[in-house]
Amino acid sequence: MTHDHSSRRQFLKLLGAGAGAAAASRLDAPAAGTQASGPVKIGVLTIRAGVAAPVGAAGLRATEWWAERVNNAGGILGRPIQLVVEEESNPKDTVERFRKLVLQDQVEVVLGGISTGVTLALGPVAEDLGTPWLSWDGTTQRGVEETMPNPKWAFKSVDNEVEAIVAGILTPKYFKGIKTVAGIGNDYSYGHDCWESYQAVLRRYVSDVKFVLELFPKLGVTDFTSHIAAIQQSKADLLMCSFWSGDATIIMKQAAAVGLFKTMKGVFTTAGGVHDSLKKEFTPEGLLLGYNTMYFDDPKGSALLKQFVREYKAKYNEYPPYECDHAFFNAESYKVAVEKAAGPAKKWPEKARVVKALEGLEIESLSGKRSWREDHVQMCNFYQGITTHKNAYDFVTIGPLEVVSTKQAMKPAGSKLFEWIAGWKV
Amino acid sequence: MAAGLQVVFGVQKIFNLACGSFYALGAYVGVSAVGWYVGAGGPPALFIVPLALAGLAVGAVGIVVERGLLRFVYDRDETFQLLMTFAIVLMMEDAIRLTWGTAPRSTAGLYLAYGQVQLLGATAPVYNLIVIAASLAIALAIGWLLARTAFGRIIRATADNREMAEALGVDMRRVYAEVFTLGTALGTLGGALVIPTTAAMSEMGIELIVEAFAVVVIGGLGSMRGAFGGALVVGVLRAIAISVYPELEMLLIYLIVIAVLAARPRGLFGGAAA
Repeated sequence: MTHDHSSRRQFLKLLGAGAGAAAASRLDAPAAGTQASGPVKIGVLTIRAGVAAPVGAAGLRATEWWAERVNNAGGILGRPIQLVVEEESNPKDTVERFRKLVLQDQVEVVLGGISTGVTLALGPVAEDLGTPWLSWDGTTQRGVEETMPNPKWAFKSVDNEVEAIVAGILTPKYFKGIKTVAGIGNDYSYGHDCWESYQAVLRRYVSDVKFVLELFPKLGVTDFTSHIAAIQQSKADLLMCSFWSGDATIIMKQAAAVGLFKTMKGVFTTAGGVHDSLKKEFTPEGLLLGYNTMYFDDPKGSALLKQFVREYKAKYNEYPPYECDHAFFNAESYKVAVEKAAGPAKKWPEKARVVKALEGLEIESLSGKRSWREDHVQMCNFYQGITTHKNAYDFVTIGPLEVVSTKQAMKPAGSKLFEWIAGWKV
Repeated sequence: MAAGLQVVFGVQKIFNLACGSFYALGAYVGVSAVGWYVGAGGPPALFIVPLALAGLAVGAVGIVVERGLLRFVYDRDETFQLLMTFAIVLMMEDAIRLTWGTAPRSTAGLYLAYGQVQLLGATAPVYNLIVIAASLAIALAIGWLLARTAFGRIIRATADNREMAEALGVDMRRVYAEVFTLGTALGTLGGALVIPTTAAMSEMGIELIVEAFAVVVIGGLGSMRGAFGGALVVGVLRAIAISVYPELEMLLIYLIVIAVLAARPRGLFGGAAA
């Protein structure tokens, strides 16, 4: 059940209902939140245009899959779920749509948020409006440092640089004797932060490693011929690349055209986001490839994951990327928190009680167990491994599969990233 | 694409922002055509044939855009033309998204179907050489068309003096439609030919517009040789910048544009002041 817009008439009706409820509560003074009948409205913010549109589509699809599943099983505390979907675009407009979801549509919770550029602005708004907001992929970090260490209503994604840290930990394990490294990433916060974090981690393991080249083409570039020539000239032992959208596919193809990975090792921290476009014809075996927080082909994957992958493939003819897991985790953890806060009386809880129930909550997501840290940051596993052609698909998968927890690879609450890495016992 | 921009600007005096969209459209149609061709069992070695044909054929959308929209703004202010063509850019981007979805589209591994060759100690994919050869052929064909045919003479006459050409009996409506379609086809063909080396993304058109305009300004507005020279200058200097001082890459194009505008406002290959 997806409704993109509520009509003016619906809005007026809602206003009337809201006023009526307010009047009633003044007369009888029951606890707020007792009008627990009718559908529970859940706001969803997702990117629909531009480079990140496929990411947004994956998150929305998983949310819809979740809603259908929950509705078929009787909804949340007997109330059916109604999704109200709005677009995530620039920070200013997205803040307006967030307000609209809360004030006009009167949703119980807002799910979504992908770009940290946008979610940095959403965090304070969620606090201001007093409505729980669970972010799929966006954080409230400026660079690698947290700006909202003690939020009440905002729940944030894993720190952006974790995939680069995991790759930094795994690089010396799989590529022994690496001495020189070149890096390429998109020219915005994510690309630079990943490169800085990767360097800091790798230096801890390989003290004499040299970083010989760094390239930052802007997001959306489709021709990397000159960049690849420069990478070849650098004669680095290894290339680290944090591309996550179509550009990951493109650079892989253009690198294959000149045989780059015949002489160079490769680390793609986040290219698993477009994993089914990494065709075997141009993606070599032996690269370290990061799938972020969900690996669709996990041999130890749960029945839930297998069912999701099967139905996603049947419906969209694609294999799901990690954004699905972020979205599923957010939605499902909200449901579990509501049920927990409701207690044995099964009375619909106030928003503040739901937020309390979310803190520290661990649930079963598509990728396995995931939880909310006490300071509202997602805890989960990261899946990376060495590319292989030994599978039934026309694209690469990974094996051996490495699973690294955020307990190991994400900075603890309240710490500074580079001080924390410098303090590791390696 | 720069060539298409030049033809259109030279003759119609229209700043066509939509050229980027035509490029993207050619890319997507090319991907679909190749997908259909391979699915139908065509030999992979000949995939460039349906690719190029699809690229050319979809150029026909130029007639629709010209007759349906652009002809209303010929005599208006440049601002209207910019707004109109930018509106086309936005509409085309959404149309592409509706038709092909938001995920990047690519022709999988066909890029490497022709193998690679060793050139001056470096590995180069044969497909790149084919595209370079095709671009040269297109440039020569356009040159021949403009310089040696009756159609070319009419185009050049119109570019020089529209009223005089019209007075001499040239059907302006037809010339405009033909020229715009030619320019569109150059854009769509360019998009189709490039696509095996990369992937089609709905916003790729906008990315290219700025660069194409830089090429055109450097080369000289409305000059075909300028488009060719400008593209070479931008491409080569950019490659050098990336390997020598990567931070300069983005800035460099605009520095050149500024330098050219300051030293030779009409561009490197631009004609003398009228």
